[in-house]
Amino acid sequence: MTAQARRSRFEALAPGLIDPLRRFLARRTDAATADDVLGDTLLVCWRRLDEVPAGEELPWAYGVARHCLANAERGVRRQQRVAAKIAVVDPPATVAAGPDDDPTSGEAAQVRAALEELPERDAELLRLWAWEQLGAGEIAVVLDITPNAASIRLHRAREKLRQAVGKIQAPVGHEGSKEGRAT
Amino acid sequence: MTDDQHASADLSADDALRARLAAADPAASLSAADPAGVARLLEDTMSQTPETRSDHLRHRSRLTWAIAAAVAVVIVGGIAFALGNDGDDGPAVAATDVSPSAPVTTPTEEESVTELSLAANGTSGRCLTPEAAPQVVSSQSLVVDATVESISAGVVTLAPTRFYTGEETDIVTVSEPSGDLQLLLAGVEFEEGERYLVSATDGQVTLCGFSGPYSERLAAVYDDAFSD
Repeated sequence: MTAQARRSRFEALAPGLIDPLRRFLARRTDAATADDVLGDTLLVCWRRLDEVPAGEELPWAYGVARHCLANAERGVRRQQRVAAKIAVVDPPATVAAGPDDDPTSGEAAQVRAALEELPERDAELLRLWAWEQLGAGEIAVVLDITPNAASIRLHRAREKLRQAVGKIQAPVGHEGSKEGRAT
Repeated sequence: MTDDQHASADLSADDALRARLAAADPAASLSAADPAGVARLLEDTMSQTPETRSDHLRHRSRLTWAIAAAVAVVIVGGIAFALGNDGDDGPAVAATDVSPSAPVTTPTEEESVTELSLAANGTSGRCLTPEAAPQVVSSQSLVVDATVESISAGVVTLAPTRFYTGEETDIVTVSEPSGDLQLLLAGVEFEEGERYLVSATDGQVTLCGFSGPYSERLAAVYDDAFSD
C-alpha cells in the first residue's frame, strides 16, 4: 500500500472509530488515561492498518484499546487503577450528567455495583455485550477467542449478573431475582 | 415448557438484562468528540512512522532513528559544495567566493539554500550514539542548528542559526523525493517553529540520533567536535 493509500484508508476508517472508542474508554478508566489510551490506540490502528479485518474494524479496534489500556494501567499508572475503577462504578458528573439522564439512577448504580462484583472476565464480556452492544461473534474478535467460547462465557456471565443483581436488590424483592431458578 | 418456549423466554430475559445494563452505561451521555480535536488527533497519528512494532509509542526515538537515509546535498545559490568527500577531518567545502558550478540550476532569488533530501538507503542499521562515535561526528560534512520555518509539500524549510561545519547558507531545506519517505521524514518529527540539529555527510543525512530535535547534549557533542 502506498503512503497515500494508507492515509486514505485510515482517514476513511478512523473518524468512525473515535467516538465508540472514547465511550469504550470512558466506561473503563478515568478521563486523562482515556485520552492517552485513545491516542495510543489510534496509533496502533495506523501502524497495523494492514491487519485491520474488513467488516470487523470496530471490534478489532476495541481489542487494541483493551491492550493499550492494560499497558497504560500496568505501567506508571498502577496506582491510579483504583481511582479508575471508582470512576467506572461512580462516574464523575461530567460523564453521568446529561439532558436524558436516567431518573432511576439508583437502579443504574445497583446494576453497576453488581457488575463490579463479578470476576473481571465476566464483567468485561457483559460490558462489551450491553454497553458496546456487540454480539458474541464480535466479542470474540475483541477478546481474541473463538465465537463459541464467547457465546458460552457470555451465557454464564449473564447468569452470574442476574444473581448478583438479585442479591443487591433482594430487599426490594425484584422479580428478576427468581429468574432461572427452579421453584 | 418446550425447548422453543425456553429459548424465547431466555431471549427476552437476555434482552431485559441487556437493557438494564445499557441503562447503567456510564458513557451513555458522553458528548461527541470535537471535530477539530478529531482532525488534529488523526493528523498527529498519521504523522507517526508506521514501521514501529512496539506499542510503547512514546519511546520510539531509537527505532525511528534506526533508518539511515541517503541525501543529496546540493548547495544552490552560487556556492559549489564538494560532494563525495568524506574525510575524517570534516568537510571539504568550497569557499564562498567560488563561482557557481552546482549541479542544480541556480535559482534567481538572492538567498542561498542548502537543499537536503531524504532517500531510502540500505546502509547499515547500526546505531552508535554520537558520544560513542566521535569519528562519525567529525566526518559530518554539514552540521547545522536550525529552526523550522515552514513545512509544505514534503519540504521542510529551516532557518539556520549556526553552522557547526559545512558551507553556510541562508536557508536549509529537507525534502523527501518519494511519498513513502514522508513517514521517514516524520520520524524526525519536524515541526514548525521547533529547533533541530541536522547533520549530513557525504551526501547522506545522518539519522540514528545524529540529527534530531535540538538538545544540549547533542549540541555539546558537535560543539566539542567542531569548535576550533
